[in-house]
Amino acid sequence: MTTTLTSADAAPADAASTGTGPRRTRRRRGRGANDPVGGAGASILLWGYAVLALAPLVIMVLNSFRTNADFITNPLGLPTSPTVAAYEEAWTVGSFGTYFANSLTVTAGAVAISTAVSTMAAYGLARGRARIFRWLESLFLSGLMLPIHLAILPVFFLFDGFGLIDSRLGLALMYAAAGVPFSIFVLTTFFRQLPEELEEAAVLDGANAWQTFWRIMVPMVRPALATVAVFRFVPIWNDFLYPLVLLRSESKYTLPVGLTNFFGENATNYSALFAGLVITTIPLIVLFLFATKQIVAGLTAGMSK
Amino acid sequence: MKTRTGLAFLAPALILFGVFVLYPMLTAFSYAFYEWQGTSRQGFAGLSNFSALVNRAPFKTDLPRALLHNVLFFLGTMLVQNTIGLTVATLLHRRARTRRMLQTLYAMPYLVSPIVIGYLWTLLLSPTFGPVNQLLTKIGLEQFALPWLGDPKTALWVVILVSVWQWVGFPVLLYGAALGGVPEELTEAARVDGASHGQVFRRITFPLLVPAIGTVSVLTFIFAMEAFALPFAFGGSTGNPAGSTDFVSLLFYRSAFDSGAVDAIGTSSALATVLFLIIFGGAMAATKVLRRHERRMAS
Amino acid sequence: MTPRTLRSTLTLIAFTGVLAVGACAPSSDTDTSGSGGGDGKETTLTVWSWRVEDEAAYNKIFDAYEAKHEGVTVEFKPFKATEYNKILATGLAGSDGPDVPQVRSYGQVEPTIASKSLVPLDGKVDLSGWDENVVNSAKSKADGKLYSVPLARQTVQMFYNKSLFKKHGIDEAPTTWADFTAAGDKLLAGDVTPIAVGAKDDWTLPIVHEVLAAPRFGGAAFQKEVLSGQTSFTDPDFVASIDVFTQLAKYFPKNVTGVAVTDAQTLFSAEKAAMFPGGSFDMAVLKKANPGIDLGVFEVPAPTGSPEDKATTPGWADGNFAVNAKSPQREAALELVKWMSTKEFGQMVADEVKQISAVPGVTYNDPLLRQMADSYEKSPSPYLLLTDFRYGSPSGTDLMGKGVQQLLLGSKTAAQVAADIDAGVKTWFKPTP
Repeated sequence: MTTTLTSADAAPADAASTGTGPRRTRRRRGRGANDPVGGAGASILLWGYAVLALAPLVIMVLNSFRTNADFITNPLGLPTSPTVAAYEEAWTVGSFGTYFANSLTVTAGAVAISTAVSTMAAYGLARGRARIFRWLESLFLSGLMLPIHLAILPVFFLFDGFGLIDSRLGLALMYAAAGVPFSIFVLTTFFRQLPEELEEAAVLDGANAWQTFWRIMVPMVRPALATVAVFRFVPIWNDFLYPLVLLRSESKYTLPVGLTNFFGENATNYSALFAGLVITTIPLIVLFLFATKQIVAGLTAGMSK
Repeated sequence: MKTRTGLAFLAPALILFGVFVLYPMLTAFSYAFYEWQGTSRQGFAGLSNFSALVNRAPFKTDLPRALLHNVLFFLGTMLVQNTIGLTVATLLHRRARTRRMLQTLYAMPYLVSPIVIGYLWTLLLSPTFGPVNQLLTKIGLEQFALPWLGDPKTALWVVILVSVWQWVGFPVLLYGAALGGVPEELTEAARVDGASHGQVFRRITFPLLVPAIGTVSVLTFIFAMEAFALPFAFGGSTGNPAGSTDFVSLLFYRSAFDSGAVDAIGTSSALATVLFLIIFGGAMAATKVLRRHERRMAS
Repeated sequence: MTPRTLRSTLTLIAFTGVLAVGACAPSSDTDTSGSGGGDGKETTLTVWSWRVEDEAAYNKIFDAYEAKHEGVTVEFKPFKATEYNKILATGLAGSDGPDVPQVRSYGQVEPTIASKSLVPLDGKVDLSGWDENVVNSAKSKADGKLYSVPLARQTVQMFYNKSLFKKHGIDEAPTTWADFTAAGDKLLAGDVTPIAVGAKDDWTLPIVHEVLAAPRFGGAAFQKEVLSGQTSFTDPDFVASIDVFTQLAKYFPKNVTGVAVTDAQTLFSAEKAAMFPGGSFDMAVLKKANPGIDLGVFEVPAPTGSPEDKATTPGWADGNFAVNAKSPQREAALELVKWMSTKEFGQMVADEVKQISAVPGVTYNDPLLRQMADSYEKSPSPYLLLTDFRYGSPSGTDLMGKGVQQLLLGSKTAAQVAADIDAGVKTWFKPTP
C-alpha cells in the first residue's frame, strides 16, 4: 500500500525504480526457503495460531449440523449424528434463496460501480498535474475519516427525496459511494508506480486517453483491483444497517437483514441460526480463497517501494 | 495529461461521492447547529448543542470516559496487533511453501460479521458455560478463570484482543509484503559483519518497515475512533458492565435513538461532528509525524 | 495530508456546508388528513411493529379485522427490535411510512410525539375504565394528550421451577421474606443456583430490582411522593431497596456481572437454577427452551423493614399502536386503532400473542398468564423507573442498571448508587407538587 495517507508528492520520485514488485520477491523466495526464522518451534506457534483463527468458523459449521436440543445441552460438542435439517429450514422457511440473490446483486453491483469510478478517478489523480487534483485528492481522502453511519437520518431524507427508498439500485449506489475513498486511496498509489513511458508509447501509437487507460493501464493494476474489490465486498456483504433503514419489502432484503429477522423468529433455534450464518459466510470464504493470490501480489506491489 | 481530461476521469467518482457521502454527512453536521423537537427542525441553536456535550449529563460524564476507551482501544490494538503482525510476518518470511496458506487462514476471522464474532466469543468466555474457563480450571489455572466480560478490569481488553484477533490478517499481509521489499544484500552484509538476527532487525529491517507501520497506524486510528460493531456485540449499547466497554459511537447510538430526550438529534449530531474533528485532527497529526520521519530517512 | 491541502479541504467543507444547511432537511408539515375507509374503496393499511416473533399471530388477528371491514387490507410488517427506533424515526419522517406504527411507551414516545408524527386520539378512542398506569403510557407529559392505544400490560415477577423446589424440600412458594431466604439457603445447600440473574445485561437489573424489592421502597406510594418532590431517590427506603441486592447476591450465579441474560435463562431451563426474576414477556421463551419444566410464578414477599408488608406485582404498558400523522388514510387508520381498544382485540392478543392485554376484562386460558394478570389486578405497583423516569437522558432505568452492576462489583454502595440515580434524573426531572 502507500507510505502515508497522501504520498501524493513523494511517490512519483521513486515510482520508476519500483518496477514490478511481485516478480522480485518471487525470485528471492527459493534461496531463503531453507532457512526459516525460528525453526520448528515457530512452526508449531504459527499453526497453533491458525487453529485459533479458525476455531469460531469451525464451531459455527459443526453446530449447524447438529440438532438444537443437542446444542443446548452441550454447546461445544461434536455432531455425533450429523443432520442437514437446519439448512433445509433456513433455506425454505427463512427464504434465504431470495436474500442470497439480493445480496449478490447489491454487493456485486456496488463493488463494480465503486471500483469502476474509483479506478478512473485514481488514474486521473495520479496523472493530473494541476493543483486542483491535489485538492480533490485530499477531499476524497477525508472521506476515509467520515463516520458515515452517523449520518443515517440525512441519508434517509436524501433517498426519500430521490424516490430511492426500497430500491436495490439505491442501496448499491450508497455502498458504491461509501467505498470510493478507500478504493481511490489504494489505487492512486498503484497508478503512481507505473512508469509514464508506457502511456507515452501508447500516445505515439495514436491511442486517445481513454484507450490508453483501458487497454494499457487497467490491465497493469489488476492485482490492486482484486484487492480493492475483495476488501470492499466483505463489509458490504455483512452490513445490515443500511438495508434495514432503506429497504421496505421483504422480497428485496439482503442476507444480513433476512438473518436478523430469522434471528428474531428463531431466537432459541441455535442450529438454524448457525446454518444461516454458514450460508452467509461461505461466499466470502470462496471469494477470499480464490483472491488471496491476487491480493498478496497486489499488496506486495504496493509495499515494495 | 490535460487538466480537462483528468477531470473527466474524476467526474463519476466525484458525483457519486458528493451526492451520497459528502452531502448527507455535511447535512448531519449542519443538524448540530439547530434546535430539534423529535425529527422536526426548529430554530438556529448556535453552539448550544456543543456546550451540552460538555455541561449536560449524560455527556458530561460519559463522553470523556467513552473517548478514553477509544484511545485505549487504539493504543492497545496498535501495540498488540503490530507486535503479533510483525512477529508472524517475520516468521513467515522464509516459509515459501506454507506462507500463503497461513496468511489466508489468519485473515479468515475478518470475513465473519462482527455481530457473529461477538456472539461466539461471549459464548466461549461465559463464566457459566464457557469452555475457556472450564479449560483453565481443568489444567489447574483456576485463578485465571475470570468473568472476562463481567469485570470492568478485563472487559475492555477482551474487546481489544478479539478485535486484534479479527484484524491481524491485515498487518501480517502488509508487513509480509513490506519485508519482501527489504533488500536482502543489506541484511546479508550486516550478518557477515557479525550482527545478530535481533540487531539486523532493529537496525535495518525495522526502520525500512516504518512507512508500512505508519499506514497501518493511521488506518487503525480511524478504525478505533469509529469502533462500533464489536463493542456493541459484546456489551450492548450501554457498554456493559458498568460502562466499561463504552465508546463514542455507542454514546451516539443511544443518545440519538434510544433516549427519551426530544432534542436528541441536535446533541447527537454535535457528537458526530466532534468525533469527525477528532479523527480528522488525529489522522492529520499522525501523517505529519510520518512525513517528517520519511524525510529524515531519505536524507 | 499537508497543511496546504488541509486548508483547502476545510474551505471546501465549509463551502459545501453552507449549501447543505437549509436543504435536505425533514419537512415538518403534518396536516394531511385523508379520506378513505368505510366507503367501499380498497384500502391497504400498513402496520409496523418490532415483534418479528409474533408475525403469524398478528396476521391471524388482522384477518379477523379484514373479515369485518370490507375493502380493508391490513399488512403487518415487523422489523428487527434493536434497530426499530431508528427505522421508525426515519419512516415517520419520510413519505412512505406506516399508517399504524407500533410506538414506544411513556417517556420513550415523547420524541415521536414532539416530531408531530402522531395523531392525537382524544375524543376518538375511549379508554375510560382502563388502568391509569397503563393509560399514562399512551399520553404525552408535555401536552397531556392521548397519542396511542396500549397493547399489553407487562408484569414482572419471580418464575420458579416447581419440581426443583419440591426436590429440595420447599413445598410452597414462599409467602414471607424469611421463607424466601430460607428457600434460597436450601437450594444453595443442594448445589442449585437459587436465583438466575443475568447482570451482564444492565437493562435487566431495574426489572430484577422491581421483582425483588418493590415493596421495600413502597411502590405506588413512593411514586406519588417522588413525583411531587416530597421525597427523592436518596430516601432511606429506596437505598434499602437497592441494598436488597447485597443481601441476596449469594443466591445469584457466581461472577454474576459476567452472566448474560441468555445464560441466566439457560441456567433456569437446564434446571441448574430454581428461580428466574423476569417479565411476563419472558414466559414464552422459558417455555420454549424447555417445555418439560413445571413452571410457576410468585410475587416475592416484602423484604423485612418494608413500609408496608405486602407483596406487589410491578407492571407497565407497552407495544402501543398509534396513527401516523402523514397517513393518507387517516380515517381507516383511526378505525383500526379504535378496534385495538376493544375487548375483541384484547382477547385475541391474550389468545394469539399470549400477552396480558391492556384492555380490561379479558380472560386468559393459560393458567400462568391468568395468575400474572390477576396478581397485577390485585396488587399493582408501577415499574417506577420506566413509567416516570424515562422522559430524559440519562434515564432512571439506565442509571439503575449501571448502578447495580457497580454495587455487585463492589465499587459502589447502595447509598452511592441511589445518590447517582438522584443526581442523574435531576438533570432533567422537575417534580410537580
